Amino acid sequence: MSSMIYKKKSPLILFLVPAFLFLLVYLYYPFFQNIVNTFMKIGGLGRAAEGLNEPWYENYQRLWTDPYMRTALKNTLLLTVCTIVFQVGIALILALLVDTIRVGAQFFRTVYFFPIVISATALGLMFNLIFLYKGGMVNQLLLNMGKLPTEVKASGKVLVQWLDWKDQAHFLFTMLMPVMWQYVGFYFVILITGLNNISPDLYEAAALDGADGWKRTRYITLPLLRNVLCTCLVLAITGALKVFDLPWIMFGAGMPENMSWLTGTYMYDQTFNKMNVDYGSTIAVLIVVLGVILSNVANRIFRPSEDL
Amino acid sequence: MKKSLAMLLVLVLMLSLVSVAAFADKAVTLNVVTSYGGDDGNRKNFENAVKAYEESTGNKVNDGSATSNEEWKAKVLTDFETGSEPDVLFYFTNADAEPFISAGKVVSLEEIRAEYPDYAGNMKDSMIAVAADGKQYAVPSSGYWENMFVNRKVLEDCGVAVPGPDYTWDQFLADCESIKEAGYTPIACSLVEVPHYWFEFTVMNNGTVENHLDVPAAADDAAAAKWAAGLNDIKALYEAGYFPANTLTASDAETVELFNSGEAAFLIDGSWKVGYFTENAEDLNDFAIAYVPGKGERSASEAIGGISMGYFITTKAWNDPDKREAAVEFVSQLTSDETLSTFVTTEVTALVNGAKPEGLNPLQQSAADANASITAIAGAVQDSLTAEARGDLFANVQNVVTGKMSAEDAVASAIALN
Repeated sequence: MSSMIYKKKSPLILFLVPAFLFLLVYLYYPFFQNIVNTFMKIGGLGRAAEGLNEPWYENYQRLWTDPYMRTALKNTLLLTVCTIVFQVGIALILALLVDTIRVGAQFFRTVYFFPIVISATALGLMFNLIFLYKGGMVNQLLLNMGKLPTEVKASGKVLVQWLDWKDQAHFLFTMLMPVMWQYVGFYFVILITGLNNISPDLYEAAALDGADGWKRTRYITLPLLRNVLCTCLVLAITGALKVFDLPWIMFGAGMPENMSWLTGTYMYDQTFNKMNVDYGSTIAVLIVVLGVILSNVANRIFRPSEDL
Repeated sequence: MKKSLAMLLVLVLMLSLVSVAAFADKAVTLNVVTSYGGDDGNRKNFENAVKAYEESTGNKVNDGSATSNEEWKAKVLTDFETGSEPDVLFYFTNADAEPFISAGKVVSLEEIRAEYPDYAGNMKDSMIAVAADGKQYAVPSSGYWENMFVNRKVLEDCGVAVPGPDYTWDQFLADCESIKEAGYTPIACSLVEVPHYWFEFTVMNNGTVENHLDVPAAADDAAAAKWAAGLNDIKALYEAGYFPANTLTASDAETVELFNSGEAAFLIDGSWKVGYFTENAEDLNDFAIAYVPGKGERSASEAIGGISMGYFITTKAWNDPDKREAAVEFVSQLTSDETLSTFVTTEVTALVNGAKPEGLNPLQQSAADANASITAIAGAVQDSLTAEARGDLFANVQNVVTGKMSAEDAVASAIALN
């Protein structure tokens, strides 16, 4: 009787159908409806469409001419590159370092992973305080180090020229740094798990052959870590396209002067604040298309090796 | 044996569920959204009133209050559109409320009074806002005024007198220059977050209190010219360096704190900010309510004010037999003479008997004195705009002051969306 369960495959469908229906209703149907919405005129979430746009592809035309959209795309691509270099790069260095120490490895694992468990809203507020204009942590440090120009006015008042970390010259650093910092721990944990799977016998054999630390990393660790690293890179690239919460908390609507838009924040602003639901839907379609293209490219470039 | 044990367990569970349902407390949980969140001056008073309601009725209140800004307004509208509206909403009674009024998502006073004849009976009917369909929906709370807060200490350090009701734009510019020279910031304002305070007054400065509520119908009409001139006045102040150096990246909270900590001299804000200073100022005597400088036909004694918000009961709550009475009781308690008197210090109310505020502090007294010299008030013209038009107009203020867009184009862009 029990063996029948394994021979008869049809009952498995029963278990697959609920999940399929769930995705159909809550993912694929909204997605196709979203594409339809891009051609309609919709003046608010939940409101009925007021007919087709004129011309019906008006929103797609606007995507090409909208300067803020160009800014959003440029910033998102920059964020993607920074994610690869800094998030995965720093995570790799930290993982290699922690893997070599014998005492305190668990401590560092917890410490580096910790930012992941804090909500992005809380982190955004924290970094807002760190980079606050008057009296923020960084500016206080700079002032104490004598790095901020001060002027004593005739009235005797000391005027400090605080550094505006959100102005045109600094906003990219202030926006990207917390995002990089938040997710380093995530890739660190994945990479360190990969490092733990490398057999110690290989290192012992290499040590007997006279390989020093760098050579062991170069010829044993990195090649054997390739597949894990590739997975991290694909995750990082696709994750970068979805970044929204931290930059939104810190920079809101494109601050300064509409220069910090990301595709996610611009889509949100158009949909929820400007009530331009059809254009917001069009940006959402672009984000999906970009995600599919970039993740495909990433998968091709960083394809895991079948030899490992 | 096992079977009968299982049956027994199921029976016990079912019985306990039935008994819980039968003897469950009849307490109702009301979802309430108001703008008495964040740093609103009446937040404490609202929380006390909610607590008193909970204690007297045994009902619970899920308080979803937040700070009123464009994002909050958009969120409230979205909640209505997606069917997740609250049971009771404290919201603007102007054009902002039209989307959910026209969708039939709130109940009119007429319908409520058919069942509860005393509902809002303590209010002057003539002061209850009338919607586009000619019906009244919201029970008004306290009104508001917008005027100029000044930091006396900063003005004293700079040798500048506290502005009076005859304060002129030229005097103001000269004062700003003296204040800047002394190393202080003349005007505390985040142009990226709350440019509307200055917009209202600079527009009125280029028109009159009588025509302040005129909304441009075309990019080249008189109202549009007035709006563009107002925006250009803000631009002139920005170019002169009278706003904080980070006015285009600072939050409203940051610039208000700049004023509170004695680094800035002037702040245009509303009556709701009095409570903030009452709670946060080191010495209330350092602050006063003065007058926004007048220009052209407008005198500094003419200000922005009125009653713009009230309590709505949603159709969803009204159609729920458990919540109907709870919602009516909630609004009745929150708008009773006694409760409103705790919210009001110097603002107008729609109460038939008037509010009876007690023990004004120095800043509240200063506001009362300033209000006594107010010769005329007009509502905020921004309230006549759709959310989309208003969002566009205020988002473009930063583009106007930095010269990326002309004031005329910013006005035209907003009109096109209205």
